[in-house]
Amino acid sequence: MKDVLEEATEIWFGPQHVSAHGWAAKLTLVGDYIVECDPNAGYFHRSAEKCLEFRDFRQGALIMERLCMLEAFLAEYPYVSAVEKIAGIDVPDRAKIMRTIMMEASRIHSLQFWWGQFAAELGLFTMLLWPWVDREFFLDAFEELTGSRHAVSYNTPGGVKYDFTDKFLSKLDRAIQRLEERMPKFRDMLLRSPTFKVRTKGIGRFDANQGLRWGISGPNIRACGVPMDLRKDSPDENLTYDMADWEVPTYTNEDHPGESDAYDRMVQRFLEIETSVDIIRQLLPQVPEGEIYERKARGKVNRLPEGEAYGRVEGTRGVTSLYLRTMDKAQTPYRAKIRGPCFNSYYSLKHLVPGNKFADFIVIFGSLDPYPGWWDR
Amino acid sequence: MGFFSTLGDIFRILRHVFRQIFKRPFTYFYPFEDREYPERTRGRHIHVRENCTACKQCVRVCPVVAIRIDVMDQKYNKDAALYFDYTRCIFCGLCVQACRFNALYHTKVVDISAENREDLIYGPDEITTLDREPLEWRGRRFR
Ligand code: SF4
Ligand code: SF4
Repeated sequence: MKDVLEEATEIWFGPQHVSAHGWAAKLTLVGDYIVECDPNAGYFHRSAEKCLEFRDFRQGALIMERLCMLEAFLAEYPYVSAVEKIAGIDVPDRAKIMRTIMMEASRIHSLQFWWGQFAAELGLFTMLLWPWVDREFFLDAFEELTGSRHAVSYNTPGGVKYDFTDKFLSKLDRAIQRLEERMPKFRDMLLRSPTFKVRTKGIGRFDANQGLRWGISGPNIRACGVPMDLRKDSPDENLTYDMADWEVPTYTNEDHPGESDAYDRMVQRFLEIETSVDIIRQLLPQVPEGEIYERKARGKVNRLPEGEAYGRVEGTRGVTSLYLRTMDKAQTPYRAKIRGPCFNSYYSLKHLVPGNKFADFIVIFGSLDPYPGWWDR
Repeated sequence: MGFFSTLGDIFRILRHVFRQIFKRPFTYFYPFEDREYPERTRGRHIHVRENCTACKQCVRVCPVVAIRIDVMDQKYNKDAALYFDYTRCIFCGLCVQACRFNALYHTKVVDISAENREDLIYGPDEITTLDREPLEWRGRRFR
Protein backbone atom coordinates (compact mmCIF):
# COMPACT_ATOMS: atom_id res chain seq x y z
CA MET A 1 0.00 0.00 0.00
CA LYS A 2 1.20 3.46 -0.87
CA ASP A 3 1.77 6.03 1.85
CA VAL A 4 -0.47 9.02 1.23
CA LEU A 5 2.13 11.33 2.71
CA GLU A 6 4.42 10.56 -0.22
CA GLU A 7 2.15 12.67 -2.38
CA ALA A 8 1.81 15.44 0.15
CA THR A 9 2.52 19.04 -0.85
CA GLU A 10 3.78 21.68 1.50
CA ILE A 11 2.54 25.19 0.95
CA TRP A 12 2.95 28.41 2.86
CA PHE A 13 -0.19 30.31 3.69
CA GLY A 14 1.06 33.86 4.04
CA PRO A 15 2.82 36.13 4.76
CA GLN A 16 1.82 37.71 1.44
CA HIS A 17 -1.66 36.25 1.30
CA VAL A 18 -4.36 38.92 1.55
CA SER A 19 -6.08 37.24 4.47
CA ALA A 20 -2.75 36.70 6.22
CA HIS A 21 -1.90 40.19 7.32
CA GLY A 22 1.56 39.49 8.60
CA TRP A 23 1.58 35.86 9.68
CA ALA A 24 2.32 32.58 7.95
CA ALA A 25 1.34 28.96 8.46
CA LYS A 26 2.93 25.99 6.78
CA LEU A 27 0.27 23.58 5.53
CA THR A 28 0.82 20.02 4.38
CA LEU A 29 -1.83 19.01 1.88
CA VAL A 30 -2.90 15.68 0.47
CA GLY A 31 -5.15 16.54 -2.40
CA ASP A 32 -7.49 19.16 -1.01
CA TYR A 33 -7.17 18.02 2.58
CA ILE A 34 -4.85 19.45 5.18
CA VAL A 35 -2.96 16.82 7.16
CA GLU A 36 -0.64 19.08 9.07
CA CYS A 37 -0.66 22.72 10.05
CA ASP A 38 2.32 24.53 11.49
CA PRO A 39 1.50 28.10 12.55
CA ASN A 40 4.47 30.43 12.64
CA ALA A 41 4.78 33.49 14.80
CA GLY A 42 7.40 36.16 14.46
CA TYR A 43 6.62 38.05 11.27
CA PHE A 44 5.14 40.92 13.24
CA HIS A 45 7.64 41.06 16.06
CA ARG A 46 8.31 44.62 17.22
CA SER A 47 9.93 43.78 20.59
CA ALA A 48 7.30 45.68 22.53
CA GLU A 49 8.45 44.25 25.85
CA LYS A 50 11.97 45.58 25.31
CA CYS A 51 10.56 48.92 24.16
CA LEU A 52 8.61 49.19 27.41
CA GLU A 53 11.86 48.92 29.37
CA PHE A 54 13.07 52.12 27.75
CA ARG A 55 9.92 54.18 28.21
CA ASP A 56 8.87 55.85 31.43
CA PHE A 57 5.55 55.17 33.08
CA ARG A 58 3.63 57.86 31.25
CA GLN A 59 4.84 56.69 27.84
CA GLY A 60 4.39 52.95 28.29
CA ALA A 61 0.65 52.91 27.65
CA LEU A 62 1.31 54.29 24.16
CA ILE A 63 3.29 51.19 23.26
CA MET A 64 0.56 48.93 24.62
CA GLU A 65 -2.20 50.50 22.59
CA ARG A 66 -0.18 50.02 19.43
CA LEU A 67 -0.21 46.25 19.93
CA CYS A 68 -3.88 46.15 19.05
CA MET A 69 -5.28 49.33 17.58
CA LEU A 70 -8.78 47.89 17.36
CA GLU A 71 -9.21 47.64 21.12
CA ALA A 72 -6.90 50.52 22.06
CA PHE A 73 -8.84 51.50 25.19
CA LEU A 74 -8.60 47.94 26.48
CA ALA A 75 -5.05 47.23 25.38
CA GLU A 76 -3.48 50.10 27.30
CA TYR A 77 -5.32 49.29 30.52
CA PRO A 78 -3.18 46.38 31.90
CA TYR A 79 -0.08 48.58 31.88
CA VAL A 80 -1.86 51.54 33.46
CA SER A 81 -3.40 49.27 36.08
CA ALA A 82 -0.05 47.69 36.98
CA VAL A 83 1.60 51.10 37.36
CA GLU A 84 -1.25 52.29 39.57
CA LYS A 85 -0.92 49.24 41.80
CA ILE A 86 2.82 49.70 42.32
CA ALA A 87 2.63 53.46 42.86
CA GLY A 88 -0.45 53.19 45.06
CA ILE A 89 -2.52 55.71 43.12
CA ASP A 90 -6.23 56.07 43.86
CA VAL A 91 -8.32 56.75 40.80
CA PRO A 92 -11.28 59.17 41.06
CA ASP A 93 -14.73 57.62 40.75
CA ARG A 94 -15.57 59.59 37.63
CA ALA A 95 -12.46 58.32 35.86
CA LYS A 96 -13.26 54.72 36.80
CA ILE A 97 -16.68 54.76 35.22
CA MET A 98 -15.46 56.67 32.16
CA ARG A 99 -12.79 54.04 31.62
CA THR A 100 -15.35 51.27 31.78
CA ILE A 101 -17.67 52.95 29.30
CA MET A 102 -14.90 53.57 26.80
CA MET A 103 -13.63 50.02 27.13
CA GLU A 104 -17.02 48.62 26.25
CA ALA A 105 -17.33 51.02 23.29
CA SER A 106 -13.93 49.86 22.16
CA ARG A 107 -15.03 46.24 22.44
CA ILE A 108 -18.07 46.87 20.25
CA HIS A 109 -15.92 48.62 17.69
CA SER A 110 -13.45 45.77 17.61
CA LEU A 111 -16.18 43.15 17.25
CA GLN A 112 -17.79 45.07 14.41
CA PHE A 113 -14.47 45.17 12.63
CA TRP A 114 -13.98 41.43 13.07
CA TRP A 115 -17.51 40.60 11.99
CA GLY A 116 -17.08 42.44 8.68
CA GLN A 117 -13.67 40.96 8.13
CA PHE A 118 -14.81 37.42 8.85
CA ALA A 119 -17.68 37.75 6.38
CA ALA A 120 -15.23 39.03 3.78
CA GLU A 121 -12.95 36.06 4.37
CA LEU A 122 -15.91 33.86 3.47
CA GLY A 123 -16.44 35.90 0.31
CA LEU A 124 -19.47 37.87 1.51
CA PHE A 125 -18.10 41.30 0.71
CA THR A 126 -21.34 43.23 1.23
CA MET A 127 -21.32 42.12 4.84
CA LEU A 128 -17.86 43.65 5.09
CA LEU A 129 -19.09 47.16 4.40
CA TRP A 130 -22.30 47.31 6.43
CA PRO A 131 -20.78 46.80 9.90
CA TRP A 132 -17.85 48.97 8.93
CA VAL A 133 -20.16 51.86 8.15
CA ASP A 134 -21.67 51.56 11.64
CA ARG A 135 -18.20 51.27 13.10
CA GLU A 136 -17.32 54.63 11.54
CA PHE A 137 -19.78 56.26 13.98
CA PHE A 138 -17.89 54.82 16.93
CA LEU A 139 -14.64 56.10 15.46
CA ASP A 140 -16.21 59.55 15.12
CA ALA A 141 -17.12 59.43 18.80
CA PHE A 142 -13.58 58.37 19.75
CA GLU A 143 -12.18 61.19 17.67
CA GLU A 144 -14.46 63.69 19.33
CA LEU A 145 -13.33 62.49 22.75
CA THR A 146 -9.59 62.03 22.28
CA GLY A 147 -8.63 63.73 19.04
CA SER A 148 -7.56 60.56 17.32
CA ARG A 149 -9.49 57.76 15.68
CA HIS A 150 -7.38 54.76 16.58
CA ALA A 151 -4.33 55.68 18.67
CA VAL A 152 -6.49 57.10 21.39
CA SER A 153 -3.98 57.46 24.28
CA TYR A 154 -6.80 57.83 26.78
CA ASN A 155 -5.95 56.00 30.00
CA THR A 156 -3.05 57.26 32.03
CA PRO A 157 -1.85 56.26 35.52
CA GLY A 158 -4.13 58.25 37.83
CA GLY A 159 -7.20 58.61 35.65
CA VAL A 160 -8.09 59.52 32.11
CA LYS A 161 -6.86 62.34 29.92
CA TYR A 162 -9.96 63.78 28.31
CA ASP A 163 -13.32 64.62 29.83
CA PHE A 164 -16.69 63.70 28.32
CA THR A 165 -18.35 66.53 26.41
CA ASP A 166 -21.96 66.91 25.33
CA LYS A 167 -20.97 66.57 21.71
CA PHE A 168 -19.15 63.33 22.43
CA LEU A 169 -22.10 61.91 24.37
CA SER A 170 -24.49 62.68 21.54
CA LYS A 171 -22.11 61.06 19.05
CA LEU A 172 -21.77 57.93 21.19
CA ASP A 173 -25.52 57.79 21.57
CA ARG A 174 -26.00 58.07 17.83
CA ALA A 175 -23.48 55.29 17.23
CA ILE A 176 -25.23 52.96 19.68
CA GLN A 177 -28.68 53.78 18.33
CA ARG A 178 -27.55 53.04 14.81
CA LEU A 179 -26.00 49.78 15.95
CA GLU A 180 -29.16 48.69 17.74
CA GLU A 181 -31.24 49.57 14.71
CA ARG A 182 -29.16 47.79 12.11
CA MET A 183 -27.44 44.93 13.89
CA PRO A 184 -30.45 42.59 14.29
CA LYS A 185 -31.18 42.95 10.59
CA PHE A 186 -27.66 42.08 9.53
CA ARG A 187 -27.36 39.33 12.12
CA ASP A 188 -30.42 37.52 10.82
CA MET A 189 -29.31 38.05 7.25
CA LEU A 190 -25.92 36.52 7.98
CA LEU A 191 -26.89 33.69 10.31
CA ARG A 192 -29.77 32.51 8.09
CA SER A 193 -27.75 32.71 4.92
CA PRO A 194 -27.32 29.19 3.46
CA THR A 195 -23.83 30.05 2.20
CA PHE A 196 -22.74 31.11 5.63
CA LYS A 197 -24.21 28.02 7.29
CA VAL A 198 -22.56 25.61 4.87
CA ARG A 199 -19.18 27.27 5.26
CA THR A 200 -19.19 27.50 9.06
CA LYS A 201 -21.32 24.74 10.65
CA GLY A 202 -19.24 21.93 12.08
CA ILE A 203 -15.98 23.59 11.05
CA GLY A 204 -13.18 24.03 13.58
CA ARG A 205 -14.98 22.33 16.43
CA PHE A 206 -13.45 21.99 19.88
CA ASP A 207 -14.96 21.29 23.27
CA ALA A 208 -14.63 23.20 26.52
CA ASN A 209 -11.97 20.88 27.99
CA GLN A 210 -9.74 21.15 24.97
CA GLY A 211 -10.18 24.90 24.87
CA LEU A 212 -9.27 25.34 28.51
CA ARG A 213 -6.26 23.06 28.10
CA TRP A 214 -4.99 25.14 25.19
CA GLY A 215 -5.45 28.31 27.23
CA ILE A 216 -8.14 29.80 25.06
CA SER A 217 -10.16 32.52 26.75
CA GLY A 218 -12.70 35.18 25.93
CA PRO A 219 -15.59 34.71 23.50
CA ASN A 220 -13.99 31.58 22.01
CA ILE A 221 -14.36 29.67 25.28
CA ARG A 222 -17.69 31.30 26.17
CA ALA A 223 -19.07 29.94 22.91
CA CYS A 224 -18.54 26.46 24.45
CA GLY A 225 -20.87 27.44 27.28
CA VAL A 226 -18.14 28.18 29.86
CA PRO A 227 -19.03 31.41 31.70
CA MET A 228 -15.41 32.52 32.08
CA ASP A 229 -15.15 36.28 32.18
CA LEU A 230 -12.69 38.44 34.10
CA ARG A 231 -15.23 41.26 34.25
CA LYS A 232 -17.35 39.08 36.56
CA ASP A 233 -14.83 36.60 38.01
CA SER A 234 -12.25 38.99 39.38
CA PRO A 235 -13.56 42.54 39.13
CA ASP A 236 -10.86 45.19 38.99
CA GLU A 237 -11.22 47.83 41.72
CA ASN A 238 -10.56 50.59 39.20
CA LEU A 239 -13.36 49.53 36.85
CA THR A 240 -17.05 49.66 37.61
CA TYR A 241 -18.59 46.59 36.01
CA ASP A 242 -20.43 45.86 39.26
CA MET A 243 -22.48 49.05 38.88
CA ALA A 244 -24.34 47.53 35.96
CA ASP A 245 -26.66 44.55 36.08
CA TRP A 246 -25.58 42.06 33.44
CA GLU A 247 -24.95 38.38 32.83
CA VAL A 248 -21.91 36.77 31.25
CA PRO A 249 -23.00 36.00 27.70
CA THR A 250 -22.63 32.32 26.85
CA TYR A 251 -23.97 30.38 23.94
CA THR A 252 -24.87 26.71 23.95
CA ASN A 253 -25.70 24.97 20.75
CA GLU A 254 -28.43 22.34 21.23
CA ASP A 255 -26.88 20.00 18.67
CA HIS A 256 -23.52 19.76 20.40
CA PRO A 257 -23.58 21.27 23.90
CA GLY A 258 -20.18 22.04 25.36
CA GLU A 259 -18.60 22.37 21.95
CA SER A 260 -18.26 25.29 19.62
CA ASP A 261 -17.76 25.55 15.89
CA ALA A 262 -17.21 28.60 13.69
CA TYR A 263 -20.97 29.29 13.53
CA ASP A 264 -21.35 29.25 17.33
CA ARG A 265 -18.47 31.64 17.75
CA MET A 266 -20.16 34.06 15.37
CA VAL A 267 -23.41 33.88 17.37
CA GLN A 268 -21.45 34.32 20.59
CA ARG A 269 -19.89 37.54 19.35
CA PHE A 270 -23.28 39.02 18.55
CA LEU A 271 -24.25 38.27 22.15
CA GLU A 272 -21.07 40.03 23.29
CA ILE A 273 -22.05 43.16 21.38
CA GLU A 274 -25.50 43.12 22.99
CA THR A 275 -24.00 42.79 26.46
CA SER A 276 -21.60 45.66 25.87
CA VAL A 277 -24.40 47.90 24.64
CA ASP A 278 -26.38 46.95 27.72
CA ILE A 279 -23.50 47.84 30.05
CA ILE A 280 -22.88 51.20 28.37
CA ARG A 281 -26.56 52.09 28.50
CA GLN A 282 -26.69 51.34 32.23
CA LEU A 283 -23.45 53.12 33.12
CA LEU A 284 -23.92 56.35 31.17
CA PRO A 285 -26.56 57.90 33.50
CA GLN A 286 -24.47 56.93 36.56
CA VAL A 287 -21.38 59.01 35.72
CA PRO A 288 -20.77 61.18 38.82
CA GLU A 289 -19.38 64.71 38.88
CA GLY A 290 -15.81 65.23 39.92
CA GLU A 291 -12.19 65.06 38.91
CA ILE A 292 -11.01 62.84 36.09
CA TYR A 293 -7.36 62.80 37.12
CA GLU A 294 -5.69 62.27 40.49
CA ARG A 295 -3.30 65.20 40.83
CA LYS A 296 -0.89 63.39 43.13
CA ALA A 297 -0.26 60.84 40.40
CA ARG A 298 1.73 63.33 38.36
CA GLY A 299 4.58 63.25 40.87
CA LYS A 300 4.20 59.60 41.78
CA VAL A 301 4.70 58.17 38.29
CA ASN A 302 8.05 59.88 37.84
CA ARG A 303 9.77 57.45 40.17
CA LEU A 304 8.14 54.22 41.32
CA PRO A 305 9.07 52.20 44.43
CA GLU A 306 10.33 48.65 44.13
CA GLY A 307 7.52 46.23 43.48
CA GLU A 308 5.73 43.97 41.11
CA ALA A 309 2.17 43.99 39.87
CA TYR A 310 -0.07 42.16 37.49
CA GLY A 311 -2.57 44.21 35.52
CA ARG A 312 -5.28 42.43 33.62
CA VAL A 313 -8.48 43.04 31.75
CA GLU A 314 -11.00 41.01 29.79
CA GLY A 315 -10.18 42.08 26.27
CA THR A 316 -12.25 41.56 23.16
CA ARG A 317 -10.30 38.43 22.34
CA GLY A 318 -9.70 37.10 25.83
CA VAL A 319 -7.58 37.66 28.91
CA THR A 320 -5.09 40.46 28.28
CA SER A 321 -2.56 40.98 31.00
CA LEU A 322 0.82 42.39 31.84
CA TYR A 323 3.36 41.62 34.53
CA LEU A 324 5.40 44.61 35.61
CA ARG A 325 8.46 44.66 37.87
CA THR A 326 10.25 47.77 39.00
CA MET A 327 13.42 48.44 40.98
CA ASP A 328 13.59 51.09 43.69
CA LYS A 329 13.24 54.71 42.47
CA ALA A 330 12.85 53.42 38.94
CA GLN A 331 12.06 55.69 36.04
CA THR A 332 11.46 52.76 33.70
CA PRO A 333 10.26 49.18 34.29
CA TYR A 334 12.83 46.53 35.04
CA ARG A 335 10.77 43.93 33.23
CA ALA A 336 7.41 43.91 31.50
CA LYS A 337 5.84 40.72 30.24
CA ILE A 338 2.76 40.88 28.06
CA ARG A 339 0.25 38.06 27.83
CA GLY A 340 -1.77 38.52 24.67
CA PRO A 341 -4.99 36.55 24.22
CA CYS A 342 -4.39 35.46 20.64
CA PHE A 343 -1.19 33.47 21.03
CA ASN A 344 -3.16 30.52 22.38
CA SER A 345 -5.93 30.68 19.83
CA TYR A 346 -3.40 30.99 17.00
CA TYR A 347 -1.44 27.93 18.08
CA SER A 348 -4.62 25.92 18.58
CA LEU A 349 -4.81 25.89 14.78
CA LYS A 350 -2.28 23.09 14.98
CA HIS A 351 -5.01 20.84 16.39
CA LEU A 352 -8.09 22.36 14.78
CA VAL A 353 -7.04 22.47 11.15
CA PRO A 354 -5.84 18.93 10.20
CA GLY A 355 -8.59 16.94 8.54
CA ASN A 356 -10.31 19.92 7.03
CA LYS A 357 -10.31 21.09 3.46
CA PHE A 358 -7.94 23.80 2.37
CA ALA A 359 -10.77 26.29 1.79
CA ASP A 360 -11.87 25.87 5.41
CA PHE A 361 -8.53 26.93 6.80
CA ILE A 362 -9.27 30.63 6.65
CA VAL A 363 -12.74 30.05 8.12
CA ILE A 364 -11.24 28.36 11.19
CA PHE A 365 -8.57 31.00 11.49
CA GLY A 366 -11.02 33.88 11.11
CA SER A 367 -13.57 32.44 13.51
CA LEU A 368 -11.04 32.62 16.37
CA ASP A 369 -10.80 36.41 15.95
CA PRO A 370 -7.03 36.55 15.98
CA TYR A 371 -4.99 39.71 15.82
CA PRO A 372 -1.29 39.31 14.88
CA GLY A 373 -0.22 42.12 17.21
CA TRP A 374 -1.17 40.00 20.20
CA TRP A 375 0.98 36.98 19.43
CA ASP A 376 4.00 38.82 18.05
CA ARG A 377 4.70 41.32 20.78
CA MET B 1 -45.92 35.97 -15.00
CA GLY B 2 -42.12 35.69 -15.15
CA PHE B 3 -41.89 38.47 -17.68
CA PHE B 4 -43.93 40.95 -15.62
CA SER B 5 -42.12 40.23 -12.38
CA THR B 6 -38.79 40.78 -14.11
CA LEU B 7 -40.14 44.04 -15.49
CA GLY B 8 -41.21 45.03 -12.00
CA ASP B 9 -37.73 44.27 -10.69
CA ILE B 10 -36.17 46.40 -13.41
CA PHE B 11 -38.45 49.31 -12.51
CA ARG B 12 -37.59 48.96 -8.87
CA ILE B 13 -33.89 49.10 -9.69
CA LEU B 14 -34.39 52.11 -11.97
CA ARG B 15 -36.30 53.93 -9.27
CA HIS B 16 -33.46 53.27 -6.84
CA VAL B 17 -30.90 54.52 -9.37
CA PHE B 18 -32.87 57.73 -10.00
CA ARG B 19 -33.14 58.38 -6.33
CA GLN B 20 -29.39 57.98 -5.92
CA ILE B 21 -28.69 60.57 -8.63
CA PHE B 22 -30.30 63.35 -6.62
CA LYS B 23 -28.74 62.37 -3.30
CA ARG B 24 -25.67 64.11 -1.96
CA PRO B 25 -22.63 61.89 -2.35
CA PHE B 26 -21.02 60.52 0.78
CA THR B 27 -17.51 61.17 -0.52
CA TYR B 28 -15.56 64.42 -0.37
CA PHE B 29 -13.82 66.21 -3.19
CA TYR B 30 -10.73 65.85 -1.10
CA PRO B 31 -8.02 68.46 -1.60
CA PHE B 32 -10.63 71.20 -1.98
CA GLU B 33 -13.07 70.20 0.71
CA ASP B 34 -12.79 68.15 3.82
CA ARG B 35 -14.84 67.05 6.75
CA GLU B 36 -14.84 69.04 9.94
CA TYR B 37 -12.29 67.98 12.50
CA PRO B 38 -13.23 67.99 16.19
CA GLU B 39 -11.82 70.51 18.62
CA ARG B 40 -9.35 68.03 20.17
CA THR B 41 -7.84 66.80 16.90
CA ARG B 42 -4.19 66.00 17.41
CA GLY B 43 -2.61 67.35 14.24
CA ARG B 44 0.71 69.10 13.68
CA HIS B 45 1.91 71.40 16.45
CA ILE B 46 2.21 75.11 16.78
CA HIS B 47 4.79 76.64 19.07
CA VAL B 48 4.21 80.02 20.68
CA ARG B 49 7.73 81.30 21.27
CA GLU B 50 6.66 84.27 23.38
CA ASN B 51 5.40 81.89 26.10
CA CYS B 52 8.13 79.28 25.93
CA THR B 53 10.59 79.16 28.83
CA ALA B 54 12.95 76.52 27.45
CA CYS B 55 12.05 74.15 30.28
CA LYS B 56 12.59 71.10 28.03
CA GLN B 57 9.62 69.20 29.47
CA CYS B 58 8.25 68.52 26.02
CA VAL B 59 11.59 67.06 24.91
CA ARG B 60 11.79 64.89 27.99
CA VAL B 61 8.31 63.42 27.69
CA CYS B 62 8.32 62.63 23.98
CA PRO B 63 8.34 58.83 23.67
CA VAL B 64 9.90 58.73 20.20
CA VAL B 65 12.45 61.56 20.54
CA ALA B 66 10.79 63.65 17.87
CA ILE B 67 11.62 67.04 19.39
CA ARG B 68 15.05 68.66 19.39
CA ILE B 69 15.62 71.86 21.34
CA ASP B 70 18.15 74.57 20.68
CA VAL B 71 18.36 76.73 23.82
CA MET B 72 21.02 79.01 22.32
CA ASP B 73 18.66 80.27 19.62
CA GLN B 74 16.76 82.94 21.56
CA LYS B 75 14.42 85.23 19.75
CA TYR B 76 12.65 86.45 22.87
CA ASN B 77 13.99 86.49 26.40
CA LYS B 78 14.46 82.93 27.78
CA ASP B 79 12.79 81.11 24.89
CA ALA B 80 14.14 78.30 22.72
CA ALA B 81 13.92 76.99 19.20
CA LEU B 82 12.15 73.65 18.73
CA TYR B 83 12.69 71.30 15.81
CA PHE B 84 9.88 68.80 15.25
CA ASP B 85 10.67 65.69 13.28
CA TYR B 86 7.40 64.61 11.70
CA THR B 87 8.92 61.43 10.33
CA ARG B 88 9.04 60.27 13.94
CA CYS B 89 6.11 61.96 15.69
CA ILE B 90 3.18 59.68 16.56
CA PHE B 91 0.83 62.53 17.57
CA CYS B 92 0.35 61.19 21.06
CA GLY B 93 -0.21 64.59 22.65
CA LEU B 94 2.13 64.07 25.61
CA CYS B 95 4.26 67.13 24.76
CA VAL B 96 1.22 69.41 24.69
CA GLN B 97 0.12 68.07 28.08
CA ALA B 98 3.60 68.46 29.53
CA CYS B 99 3.90 72.12 28.57
CA ARG B 100 2.81 74.17 31.60
CA PHE B 101 3.34 77.55 29.94
CA ASN B 102 0.77 77.37 27.12
CA ALA B 103 3.51 77.38 24.54
CA LEU B 104 2.68 74.26 22.57
CA TYR B 105 -0.60 73.30 20.91
CA HIS B 106 -1.96 70.87 18.39
CA THR B 107 -3.64 72.21 15.27
CA LYS B 108 -6.24 70.62 13.05
CA VAL B 109 -3.83 70.23 10.14
CA VAL B 110 -3.46 66.47 9.88
CA ASP B 111 -2.36 66.01 6.27
CA ILE B 112 1.29 66.94 6.25
CA SER B 113 3.33 65.60 3.40
CA ALA B 114 6.59 66.52 1.75
CA GLU B 115 8.74 65.46 -1.14
CA ASN B 116 11.70 64.42 0.96
CA ARG B 117 12.50 63.60 4.55
CA GLU B 118 14.32 66.82 5.35
CA ASP B 119 11.23 68.88 4.60
CA LEU B 120 9.33 67.02 7.32
CA ILE B 121 11.67 68.33 10.01
CA TYR B 122 9.90 71.53 10.95
CA GLY B 123 12.36 74.13 12.14
CA PRO B 124 11.61 77.13 14.38
CA ASP B 125 10.24 79.16 11.47
CA GLU B 126 7.74 76.55 10.30
CA ILE B 127 6.62 75.32 13.70
CA THR B 128 5.67 78.80 14.92
CA THR B 129 3.53 79.63 11.87
CA LEU B 130 0.69 77.93 10.10
CA ASP B 131 1.34 77.87 6.37
CA ARG B 132 -2.37 77.58 5.79
CA GLU B 133 -5.44 78.21 7.85
CA PRO B 134 -7.03 74.82 8.47
CA LEU B 135 -10.62 75.98 8.53
CA GLU B 136 -10.59 78.68 5.89
CA TRP B 137 -8.83 76.55 3.42
CA ARG B 138 -11.23 73.69 3.98
CA GLY B 139 -14.97 73.52 3.90
CA ARG B 140 -15.43 74.85 0.37
CA ARG B 141 -18.31 72.83 -0.93
CA PHE B 142 -18.82 72.16 -4.60
CA ARG B 143 -22.23 70.66 -4.20
S1 SF4 C 1 2.89 64.46 19.87
FE1 SF4 C 1 3.97 62.85 21.00
S2 SF4 C 1 5.43 61.99 19.50
FE2 SF4 C 1 4.73 63.98 18.68
S3 SF4 C 1 6.27 65.43 19.36
FE3 SF4 C 1 4.64 65.45 20.91
S4 SF4 C 1 5.29 63.95 22.46
FE4 SF4 C 1 6.53 63.58 20.63
S1 SF4 D 1 7.35 74.38 24.53
FE1 SF4 D 1 6.59 74.32 26.64
S2 SF4 D 1 7.46 72.40 27.48
FE2 SF4 D 1 8.59 72.85 25.61
S3 SF4 D 1 10.40 74.01 26.30
FE3 SF4 D 1 8.83 75.53 25.76
S4 SF4 D 1 7.75 75.94 27.70
FE4 SF4 D 1 8.92 74.05 28.02
